[in-house]
Amino acid sequence: MNAAGVIHAQPPTLIALVLFTLVSLGLGVVANLVGRKGNFLEKYFLGNRSLGAFAVALTAAVMSGGTFVGFPSLVYSFGWVVGLWICSYMVAPLTILGILGKRIGQLSRRTGAITLPDLLRERFGSPTLGLLTSILVMFFLICNLIPQFKAGAVILRIVLPTETTNWFVTDESANSADVAYYVGLAIFTATVVAYTTYGGFLAAIWTDVFQSLIMAVGVLLLFPLAMHKAGGIEQATLKGMQLAGNGFGFGPGAGRAFHPLGLAVSFFFMWAITGMGQPSTLVRLMAFRDSRTLRWSIIYLTLYNMVIYVPLIFIFVAARSILPNLKSPDDAMPSLVISLANPYLAGLILAAPYGAVLSTVSGWLLIVSSGMVRDIYQRFLRPMASEKEIARASYLATVTVGLIAAVAAIRPPEYLQLIVVFSSTGMAAAFLMPALLGSFWRRTTATGAIAAMVIGTAVTLGLYLLGTLGPDRFHLDWLLPANPEIGAKSSFRPYYLLGLDPCIWSLVASLLAGVVGSLLSAPPKPERLSLFFDAQPPDAPASATLDLHPELGTKRA
Amino acid sequence: MSRDTDPVLKNSRREAIIITIVWVAATSYCCAYSYWFGYNRPGRPLGIKDLDPVWGIPSWVFWGILAPWLVCSLFTFWFAGFYMVDDDLGTDRSAELDRDIREGGAE
Repeated sequence: MNAAGVIHAQPPTLIALVLFTLVSLGLGVVANLVGRKGNFLEKYFLGNRSLGAFAVALTAAVMSGGTFVGFPSLVYSFGWVVGLWICSYMVAPLTILGILGKRIGQLSRRTGAITLPDLLRERFGSPTLGLLTSILVMFFLICNLIPQFKAGAVILRIVLPTETTNWFVTDESANSADVAYYVGLAIFTATVVAYTTYGGFLAAIWTDVFQSLIMAVGVLLLFPLAMHKAGGIEQATLKGMQLAGNGFGFGPGAGRAFHPLGLAVSFFFMWAITGMGQPSTLVRLMAFRDSRTLRWSIIYLTLYNMVIYVPLIFIFVAARSILPNLKSPDDAMPSLVISLANPYLAGLILAAPYGAVLSTVSGWLLIVSSGMVRDIYQRFLRPMASEKEIARASYLATVTVGLIAAVAAIRPPEYLQLIVVFSSTGMAAAFLMPALLGSFWRRTTATGAIAAMVIGTAVTLGLYLLGTLGPDRFHLDWLLPANPEIGAKSSFRPYYLLGLDPCIWSLVASLLAGVVGSLLSAPPKPERLSLFFDAQPPDAPASATLDLHPELGTKRA
Repeated sequence: MSRDTDPVLKNSRREAIIITIVWVAATSYCCAYSYWFGYNRPGRPLGIKDLDPVWGIPSWVFWGILAPWLVCSLFTFWFAGFYMVDDDLGTDRSAELDRDIREGGAE
């Protein structure tokens, strides 16, 4: 550690990150050159629906950079029970890609939708629903982007040589750790905004695939090194139990009730079910090439999860005995890598979480900017805009969203990982039930979809407010007991009603609201429904065409 | 107007039901087994002697997490490799929607 109290890697790590950044920028340029054919918006925001199995598998369900930093720190802190916390990844490829995959792929083609708001608006014939979806996507994803920008800046702070940042410090009293963070933030922002703006969706996807492969290589190299250093997994477990207590080897975890039974059940919802409702997942389900691609992507993702997550549990159980006194568990990943691997290998492995953050940010930037351009600018402000004008608006929106997130990350809020969990829960609560009901239940109406979205979001926000401020602040202490001390320790936390995570309550509330709202409203038009639920001839119109020319429906009948 | 249910919908619905059953089974088994054999509970504190390691791994982790992970993965390979149907997802109407947006804006 240096005087500023920050871990610093050796120069080869910086070389690896510079190479990684150059490859990412190169992928942006190649993506721009490759996808010149076709409609600009479909190319820029959806890659012309050309994603192959490998790309879908490695980009649809890998959560974010936090997965590679936050997850190891949990294993290091709480021990083997974190294996139960993550193990719904055993069924996640099936649920996330298999349940909605073909229907979302089909509905997006039949409607011509290229964004999630597009899809819901066209499926239910409701501009209000489209606008509400756009606003919620922007709100939750911008919340999510801020911690990702911070994560990118922090990784760069670790690998940048101190001389780089000291050059900016003119006043002796200035805090060089802060300056290093700002320099890291500036470099990260410039890189990610540049290649995303230039390369669009394909650049985001290719970088994602690239970092996922590097991560897999890194984990497979780290696994034997950690096992050798710890003297085997049994020794590592015993040492961990000596250091952290018997809870390190058993549930609900070391030190506190991190993962009691109620949360164990909740996290099978959290990863395997809420993952289905993330806008980034739904967009990829609109972008895969064909059904065969989807099947193979499920197989690849299942293999990838086994190769990455099972060894990661072993590695960071061992990390507790190798590095017993880490000041911050969040440093577990970089510290272990730096202590075990030679500097060049450390550089390669550390480049992976950086790449995960880069690719996550680029994917989310595009979802937010696509919402601004397609669902607000083109739909409401300039429907007659030329292709060139739309292209300019898309580039400008991507740069603007990136800069807004970077400015917000200058003074980032605390409890970043929990903000990611909160936003992911909120997005699933808002979008999963409208997508699921709209795919499989004829009777679902726009009113039902709006009710599901609003109630799901409200329950998530309500439970987080209740957990953070406490039931007494709302004069509800006569009804609700104090929040149980479970899960990770933080003052920004949800209220665990009956010991369950809010994702369960918000999904159940959203489902009920969707069903009741649909049954209480007038049934949808049969000719519109027929487009989505009945076998159609090849010349069947898109739903928007039917709305503009209702006589087409009469003719077909 | 044709009233035949869309084949993609039929296949997707059947596949979604099977996947949901597998998810329920995995959730129930992993949580129940791990809680029963691997959790400190009131009146039943666990210690080093309860690890009962299998290949060095605590036995509740081996049987409650890793074994079902392997079984689920094998099932997934069969399901996605041989059971799921390769449906035709239809023609992409994005150019048509683009025209509709312009036409709607011109009105």
